[in-house]
Amino acid sequence: MYEVDFLKELRARLTEWENTALKERLAKIQENKPEFRSGSGELITERIYTPLHTAETNYNEDIGLPGQYPFTRGIDPVGYRAFRSPLGFYAGFGSGESANKRYRQLYAAGSRDIGLALDLPTQLGMDSDDPLAEGEVGKVGLAIDTAADLERALKGIPLSGLKTGTVGNCIGPWALALFLVLCESAHLQPSQMGIRIQNDPFKEYTGRGTFIFSPTVAVDLASDVVAYMYKVVPHWEPQWSCTTTMRWGGFTAAQEVGFGIANLICYAEAAQAKGVKPEDYIPRVDLHMSSDNDLFEEVAKFRAARRLWARIAEKRFKTRDPRILSLRISTYTAANRLTAREPLNNIIRSTMHVLASMLAGIDHITAAAYDEALALPTFESARLASLTKHILNHENCIGHTVDPLAGSYYLESLTTQVEEKARHWYEQVENMGGAKAAIDSGYYLKEMAKGQYQNQKEIESGERKVVGVNTFVLDRKVPIPLFKGDPKGEAKQIGRLNKIRQKRDKARATKSLDELSKTAAKKVKGEDLNMVPAMLEAVRANATEGEIFAALRKVYGEYRPPAVF
Amino acid sequence: MNRKPIRVLMAKPGLDGHESGAKVIARALADAGMEVVYTGTRQTPQMIVNAALQEDTDVVGLSILSGAHKELCSRIVSLFKQKGMEDIPVIVGGIIPDGDIPKLKRIGIKEVFGPGTTTTQVVSCVQSLVKNKSQHPRRK
Repeated sequence: MYEVDFLKELRARLTEWENTALKERLAKIQENKPEFRSGSGELITERIYTPLHTAETNYNEDIGLPGQYPFTRGIDPVGYRAFRSPLGFYAGFGSGESANKRYRQLYAAGSRDIGLALDLPTQLGMDSDDPLAEGEVGKVGLAIDTAADLERALKGIPLSGLKTGTVGNCIGPWALALFLVLCESAHLQPSQMGIRIQNDPFKEYTGRGTFIFSPTVAVDLASDVVAYMYKVVPHWEPQWSCTTTMRWGGFTAAQEVGFGIANLICYAEAAQAKGVKPEDYIPRVDLHMSSDNDLFEEVAKFRAARRLWARIAEKRFKTRDPRILSLRISTYTAANRLTAREPLNNIIRSTMHVLASMLAGIDHITAAAYDEALALPTFESARLASLTKHILNHENCIGHTVDPLAGSYYLESLTTQVEEKARHWYEQVENMGGAKAAIDSGYYLKEMAKGQYQNQKEIESGERKVVGVNTFVLDRKVPIPLFKGDPKGEAKQIGRLNKIRQKRDKARATKSLDELSKTAAKKVKGEDLNMVPAMLEAVRANATEGEIFAALRKVYGEYRPPAVF
Repeated sequence: MNRKPIRVLMAKPGLDGHESGAKVIARALADAGMEVVYTGTRQTPQMIVNAALQEDTDVVGLSILSGAHKELCSRIVSLFKQKGMEDIPVIVGGIIPDGDIPKLKRIGIKEVFGPGTTTTQVVSCVQSLVKNKSQHPRRK
């Protein structure tokens, strides 16, 4: 980017500076560490950055302009100058009534974007009275067994204009059917609601653990959702390919990019095989990433992710179509960095995580609430988290210009380094046969365990400082108000479930379950069938979630992952 | 001293799949010279008790982050009692509200570790539990 003579002169000047100003200073004072590493530990951070670090960077090819290839500076030419981020929430607990109370509270306080958190039995395709569900019903989210439970949870909230959805990564077709049936019973056109389903099974084999079937079956079912939505409800969002929990579990920043792209490629090709072209798929999905501690490494990570995606997708899909090459990124901030000690400190941490996302022009940001290391968020802590980005936008002028850190010697150098490392990780996965193979072989799990253990060792040795944990430690606990669940929810939910089983048209429910098993069996034999229609009928027939997934488990079996540590 | 290594069963009861913590602890105990068996996720209390029996376990570590700790722990502890294995100490780690810790200890959980615990703390807890036990050997 610079003239040769200028660089030569600069190099000479730098050497002189090192031998004089720097040397004199270092004779008097010691730096805090012999070596400074990036937050995820993968990069060495130098004392200063100069044009020498970006000499190889070509502005037009590597940085460019927002909304144009290679999208380093963002996918939108105006960025946050047209700030439309919603006051969004991800909430839910207990039986329908208690969740409903929270949703109404959020709606009344102005939110029109409420993601539904589901409890573990629901995420795993189990009924609330399953023996394995004992004690788990309504704990980490809302319990749903039949369509009536979803209706109850949203009762009294105007559905038209509401954006909602759920994570439901291994129950995608059922989750989609629930929302379609919700529209039917409310006499709404699906186009009047906005529905997002995360529908990302890979996340469950790695970070989160609510897998049901084998990765191959799970990807097949997830892409059924993508194909069905594209045909029937094209404005709903069918999938987010998610690296958040893998990052929390130990991936580095560059691994998050490389593995995240490998996962997204796998999903895009699965969708393509079912008739959804990449130009129709990519604009409807997000790469959903964490936003971690090292502010600059994270900004560089997001910029590197967009650039690397553009470059890889260009070759992979043999296209220059900007709909395919521009990658939309959303974030859920690093809940793993929040501490149970002095939890109010977490407000600062989450704010910085949001700032990292905003400095990289991320499209949709969800901030972790400061009490997440202790319990489910309260209304107040969730609201505070969601307001963070609005405060930064309205009061701190973050969005006045697009990609404000572009051109920084440090940041551009970091962006290039993260991209290079990420490409290496991406190629590792491609060489072993892609994301599915990386999961099957336990590769992701091993990389995560390595990172997590390293992180813990660094905290314990004091090499990684965590305020309130291993430095500036207070000798007493700082109490904060904590959310209390609904202890009677489980019994109430089971009572309702039994009532539905007695009241419904039994023959219809049984027939619909039979049809599900048959569809699964035909799919296993290679027939090109979509699971969603059979799922819709089962939900309409009031087959319970546990029955529905039992009908599928009968054919597909259940997955057991390798227990590695 | 030439005694056989401490055997630990690290288990994830219930449906919660967040296993990073369990794995870090498993690895730290192994690095400290113990023999560690990790069950993986989604274990029923029955499965955990059976595994403890089969593996001739000295100490059982449970990791629970979903909030279902009271139900799961009391079920596991009572199964151990039924089998006459109550001398196997059970410790728990995870997201456990302070108010619940005395309740867990009352039903027989030996120690409860929250976020911010160091691996060293867990290692020395396991060592001292085993030491105490060997001073009061199991009656058969």
